[in-house]
Amino acid sequence: MTASDPMTTPSTPPVPSTPPVPESAPSPPALSCRGLSKRYGDVHAVRDVGFDIAPGEAYGLLGPNGAGKTTTISMLVGLIRPGGGHVRVCGVDLAADPMRAKARIGYVPQEIALYPELTGRENLRFFGRLFGLPRRALAGRIDEVLDLVGLTGRADSRLKTYSGGMKRRINIGTALLHRPDVLILDEPTVGVDPQSRKAILDGVERLVGEGMSLLYTSHYMEEVERVCDRVAIIDHGRIIAEGTRRELIALVGGADKVELSLDGDLETALAKLRAVEGVIEAAMTGAASIRLLTEGGRYLLPALITAVDGCAAVTATQVIEPDLEATFLHLTGSTLRD
Amino acid sequence: MSPRPVLALVAANLRRHARDRVGLFFMVIMPFVSIVFVGMAIGDGGGRLPVGVVAHGSGPVVAALLDELGRRPDLEVTRVGSADDLRSGVRSGALAAGLIIPDDPAHLRLVATQANGSGLAARSAVDVAVGRVAAVQEATRAAVAAGATPAQAAAYVRQAQEESGRVAVTGGSADAADPRGFAYTAPANLLLFTFINSMAVAAALVESRRLGMLQRALTAPVRRTSVLLGEALSRFLVALAQAGLIVVVSASAFGVTWGDPLGVAAVVGVFALVATGAALLVGTLLNAPDQAPAIGPPLGVVLGMLGGCLWPREASGEVINAVGRLFPHAWGMDALLTLARPGTGLTAVLPQLAVLAGMAALLLGAALALFRRRALTVG
Repeated sequence: MTASDPMTTPSTPPVPSTPPVPESAPSPPALSCRGLSKRYGDVHAVRDVGFDIAPGEAYGLLGPNGAGKTTTISMLVGLIRPGGGHVRVCGVDLAADPMRAKARIGYVPQEIALYPELTGRENLRFFGRLFGLPRRALAGRIDEVLDLVGLTGRADSRLKTYSGGMKRRINIGTALLHRPDVLILDEPTVGVDPQSRKAILDGVERLVGEGMSLLYTSHYMEEVERVCDRVAIIDHGRIIAEGTRRELIALVGGADKVELSLDGDLETALAKLRAVEGVIEAAMTGAASIRLLTEGGRYLLPALITAVDGCAAVTATQVIEPDLEATFLHLTGSTLRD
Repeated sequence: MSPRPVLALVAANLRRHARDRVGLFFMVIMPFVSIVFVGMAIGDGGGRLPVGVVAHGSGPVVAALLDELGRRPDLEVTRVGSADDLRSGVRSGALAAGLIIPDDPAHLRLVATQANGSGLAARSAVDVAVGRVAAVQEATRAAVAAGATPAQAAAYVRQAQEESGRVAVTGGSADAADPRGFAYTAPANLLLFTFINSMAVAAALVESRRLGMLQRALTAPVRRTSVLLGEALSRFLVALAQAGLIVVVSASAFGVTWGDPLGVAAVVGVFALVATGAALLVGTLLNAPDQAPAIGPPLGVVLGMLGGCLWPREASGEVINAVGRLFPHAWGMDALLTLARPGTGLTAVLPQLAVLAGMAALLLGAALALFRRRALTVG
């Protein structure tokens, strides 16, 4: 493991991942799809899915199992021929020129697709050759990627001796060999220990920070919230909402919950709290607790504490802001881990 | 189409096979264990056929006959006490054939079973020996009749024999007997193990499919044909390596003569294509890697039995040998045994090669089409 290792350096704070500002001639989106659809018999697996991922942007695809995420990704990487619509990778049409388009994508499938009998290095070499990397350049690039995923020390051990997290890291490293413009990660942290999970997320954030575009799907809401600049919520094969985290959360309304623990005259305090501007609803939830529904919860706290001054003392506060999970629940009527 | 992805797949697959110790044991050790043990069991005797002789008289003709039979390089002559012992020896298989030489050597009696390759071969060898003695007798009689003394006649005949000895008889009849010992078990095990091990390594293909390796390979800038070719070439090279190893080791360690290298290369190459087709078919149809070693080798053993790879073909009935003709092993055995005979070459095995090539085309065609549809489908 090295200090510059984005997959394994827990102390390095994530680099803010803002898409670069387009210069005079706007470059095409790193990945763009329009009207993607796929039917299996009577089942519409994917319907009219379209989005753009700007260069350097991290884009999340969020949806429950069976929502159409993997079918969408399979169409984006050329594994499934779309029933309709098209995919462009850095302006190259995938259907018209699949070889050039695929060369710019790094795809990491959900399952670990590596040869267990071969070493980590040999697996990387295999994929490097598939991507047409010249022999001499490949050896050096393999060392770089091994360093990047923090597995230089285990490079020559057979894959079957690796832990789940190490396999995941090589699985991701495999997709980085050819320096793709777009990295597509399908549930990259399933079944890994918290330490490896953190290493993977840190590494992904670093890659995005360095300018790589990312399409990320995950069951873990907090991962998507952390890694992605923009998120699409997909359900029943359709994108039902898309935007930045803030934009999506605003869809459920801006109401935050504020839990107050109080000592003193709660009846009076309740009446005073109801009168504070921004408080939508207030209710006693116990002998010493009041729950408020507010707009801009955390900014309202000083006004709330001032309002009860004289009749009660605030001993504890908790502000619960709506998150993507709440948005998801609101939009789809189901939880993500269905 | 770039060869790089094809070579990448071949290199990765061969490396995987090289790491499979059990698989290597079955490829490198087992064939030779089988060649040696079965070879010893079905006897060698320098390829000589055991022939029993019952001789009552002791005249010059009897002596000449015994001498001529004893000179035959393909016969192991044993004197047997009685005609009954001789018959029982032939019946039990201890003797390939028997010859009873009565007091009057003009009426020899041959004891042999009908439908037995060794019996037929022994009979034809005895016929040749008897024919030679008869020819000497006839020539001597003719010389004496022409006025020569018996001593002169004998000298003339000896001179004639020496001159005729320069004439070599080459070629063999189609019904010539199969060889015994390593000369039989080496080609038999070449076919048996090339096929069985091809089926066993199909497990690696099932594993590749199960892991999603082939699908992932298709997300690289690689054509489906390249993946297809890479997987097929990997199996073909394993089959060729297995066959090549058996040819080289059996020739150098057991002195097995394989015959015309071009003919052997053609037969082995076409048979390896058949095995590749079978391996791809198994690798495409099965869903769990464990099924391949469970189904492949038993199937290979049954086909080997029908094709005469486990025991000599002459020990099987006509029905089994006829059924065996439906499968590649019997044709492969035919071709390799034909090539092992002196004076034969590629042209002698063209019919067998044609049948094997047809089988290879059918199997490979079906396997590649199915593999493309099942394992490399872009839906």
